[in-house]
Amino acid sequence: MLDADAVYLDNAATTPLDPRVLEAMLPHLYGPRGNPSSLHAAGVAAREAVEEARWSVADLVGAAPEEIIFTASGTEADNLAVLGLARACGDRRHVVVSGVEHAAVREAARCLESSGCEVTWLGVDEAGMVSPEDLEKALRPDTALAAVVWANNEVGTVQPVGELAEVCAERAVPFHADAVQAAGRLPIDVAETETPVSTLALSAHKLYGPQGVGALYVRDGVRVEPVLRGGGQERGLRSGTQNVSGIVGFGAAARLAREELEERARHERELRETLISGLASIPGVRLNGHREKRLSNNVHVSVEGVEAEGLVLLCDARGYAIGSGSACASAATGHKASPVLLAMSRDEREAFSAVRITVGKENTADEVEGFLEAFSAAVEQLRRVSPLYASS
Amino acid sequence: MSYRSEVIDHLVRPRCVGEVPEPDGVGESGHEACGDVARFTARIEDNVLRTVRYKVYGCAACIAAGSALAELVDGRPLLEAARVSLADLEGALGGPLPPGKEHALTLTLDALHKAIEDYWNRNVEALLADGGYAGNGAARGKTVVAAMSGGVDSAVTALLLREAGYEVAAVTFRLHDGEKGSRSCCSPDTVLFARDTAHRMGLPHFTLNLKELFNRRVMRDFVGSYAAGRTPNPCVACNAHVKFHAAAFLADRLGFHQVATGHYARIADGPSLARPEDASKDQTYVLWPMPKELLARTVFPLGDYRKSEVRRIAEARGLAVAYTPESQDICFIPDGDYRKFVRKKVATEPGEIVDGEGRTLGLHSGVVDYTIGQRKGLGIAAPTPLYVTEVRPQSRQVVVGRREDLEVTEVRVGVMNWFLDPGEASMVQVRYNSLPVPCTLRDAGDGYWVARLEQPTSRVAPGQSAVFYTADGERVVGGGIVARTGS
Repeated sequence: MLDADAVYLDNAATTPLDPRVLEAMLPHLYGPRGNPSSLHAAGVAAREAVEEARWSVADLVGAAPEEIIFTASGTEADNLAVLGLARACGDRRHVVVSGVEHAAVREAARCLESSGCEVTWLGVDEAGMVSPEDLEKALRPDTALAAVVWANNEVGTVQPVGELAEVCAERAVPFHADAVQAAGRLPIDVAETETPVSTLALSAHKLYGPQGVGALYVRDGVRVEPVLRGGGQERGLRSGTQNVSGIVGFGAAARLAREELEERARHERELRETLISGLASIPGVRLNGHREKRLSNNVHVSVEGVEAEGLVLLCDARGYAIGSGSACASAATGHKASPVLLAMSRDEREAFSAVRITVGKENTADEVEGFLEAFSAAVEQLRRVSPLYASS
Repeated sequence: MSYRSEVIDHLVRPRCVGEVPEPDGVGESGHEACGDVARFTARIEDNVLRTVRYKVYGCAACIAAGSALAELVDGRPLLEAARVSLADLEGALGGPLPPGKEHALTLTLDALHKAIEDYWNRNVEALLADGGYAGNGAARGKTVVAAMSGGVDSAVTALLLREAGYEVAAVTFRLHDGEKGSRSCCSPDTVLFARDTAHRMGLPHFTLNLKELFNRRVMRDFVGSYAAGRTPNPCVACNAHVKFHAAAFLADRLGFHQVATGHYARIADGPSLARPEDASKDQTYVLWPMPKELLARTVFPLGDYRKSEVRRIAEARGLAVAYTPESQDICFIPDGDYRKFVRKKVATEPGEIVDGEGRTLGLHSGVVDYTIGQRKGLGIAAPTPLYVTEVRPQSRQVVVGRREDLEVTEVRVGVMNWFLDPGEASMVQVRYNSLPVPCTLRDAGDGYWVARLEQPTSRVAPGQSAVFYTADGERVVGGGIVARTGS
């Protein structure tokens, strides 16, 4: 049941499908469908559409098309990178992962840990930043890979990925960056002189493309062991018939994201700043993450004396969709404090009271103003109910 | 996961939010580290919850459950409010909560019950008075307060009473902090379980906090007895000073006439205690100190049933308690290691182990580790097995001897409680689960009585109970505490 009038402020969870993207996808949903692996004309058409999309996605991050492997999600791309890099260098049994990773990387690393690898979890500062020095110290001769999220999905802190990747490149340690939230919001260039990452995870539905499509950039020459086995599609790294319409949508979305990146980021930043200063005027509201080095669309706050779920539902009842902490965490694992916030030295209460407001290119200044009013009222109502907040 | 519209409605328009000024009862459940805290405040007059207000810090389900519960009980009589069950609350929220959120019902209901408990607790001085609570017993009618521990016996007790046409209110006592399944945030599992069992039978449920009373009258005596070389029976002490007094206290507050427990015993004319139908479960031995005026208003429904029948009744009525295992240990020492428990509470000093002639046979690390009749843990090699025959705390000596040295023919008893004329006593039981032996009884003055046993009896320890029965062995004449033994 979607309320057509609801204001959507949860763009980090997923973005609305851009009508231009839908337009590009439609022929591949309606028309005669071919399998990109088939020899006949329909197969050829499908293959050409996929390859064109590959060009667009590669362009978004400065890669060559053959370095792009399509997957079914950002999570799959992260798993392929972490598990695939580790398994491709058999005798190295050490992995370095930051404490603020998306669950896709965190859980893949835990999987390696339980199968006998040693994992070093890199600490972060209060803003959620990983330091290149810490990474350098953590690397060992037997390190199979290091992984740091480009921009965190919860608090939006943007990491010094260039420096981090450089540290690893100097030691010839493969480096994976989850760029699912960063792509389309930050300029990304995987050129060796810019950001010498080995692998990079991307997802279509965070940049106005369809859900169910992701991609892994794998630098030419980097060895990755496939996770899915089968027909050998995607250079043998991701078997399974490609989701042609989805990939076409990803391509269209990537092309638009590249063309409109600066304009979108500027628009989002304006809304973000309005939100941050508006929320700052509510007592007991604290911004999480880095004040400047954060995603253009991300606002993440802890609200003293209340818990996130009620706040999200009350905002929803007033017509505003926002996220509680991390949308993935609240639905899947129930009542657990976000490990990302705990890694940033926040206590459990602050973690339970955290909400994420993420704007997008479609949001307007009026919507943001309206939201601030609704949010303030919701906070006040919940604090009246809360035994842990003494109103002064 | 998604919530029903009823939950969202309570979240968006919460009812009864806030705090009652100068409340008569305050209850809080949960802990902020778990992410949920529920707090209920109430103004209570004439056993009616005149005003109930709630506050919740927690997930949407908790906030909604608090609102729905407060709305259900605001302005209701206590007896009705205390009957509101998890299922009722769930119904008020439109049906089951999403998986993983069921805790919201337990948490808020627990907070409300703690507020009512707090209300009783504010008037509990009467229970702590030196003489104990005698009760007014003013009420009449077929009304009864049934003590419920969460076990099968007390559940079936309440059930039988209800089926016999009584108006029943269930009560669970908080006696100590050693409950199994205790968590920081809610009441112990036993309390929650007893409450749920009562509610499933449609009964109102109350909780009374008797920790202070239990500590003063049972635990201190228990620890002190070991230090003084006596062998205490905490169940006797609890029946003498705690359980029935507290049930009568609540009955008087509710205007109820009688009290009931799941003990296996019968009440005969007098009133006096009589052996139950199921001799193997007989609990008359631990009930002897019950004050007569409380016994007069007590019901023991299980006295007419065998334990196997009780289990069958529970199963037939679908009571989940039917499958809980029998509890035998001392309730406040869940691991059964009472020496460790006593050692934590009293300083112990080493001393000598001597024989009957005063010769030193070895050393021990504290008299609290020894009781009369004990054979293990002496650490002395001897041609025949040695037993503890006496504990002398003053000289820190533990006396050991042969098996036959344990046998006594005379028992001096004090702290008497009589139901019938002492002249009717012709048998005495000196240990739980032992057979009574014929005896003759004489008044030794100063409140003491001496029982002359017709056959030598072993392992009679000071501190234990001596309970006297009639010639047919069926009725309790009275009882007392063993002060000294002789042969």
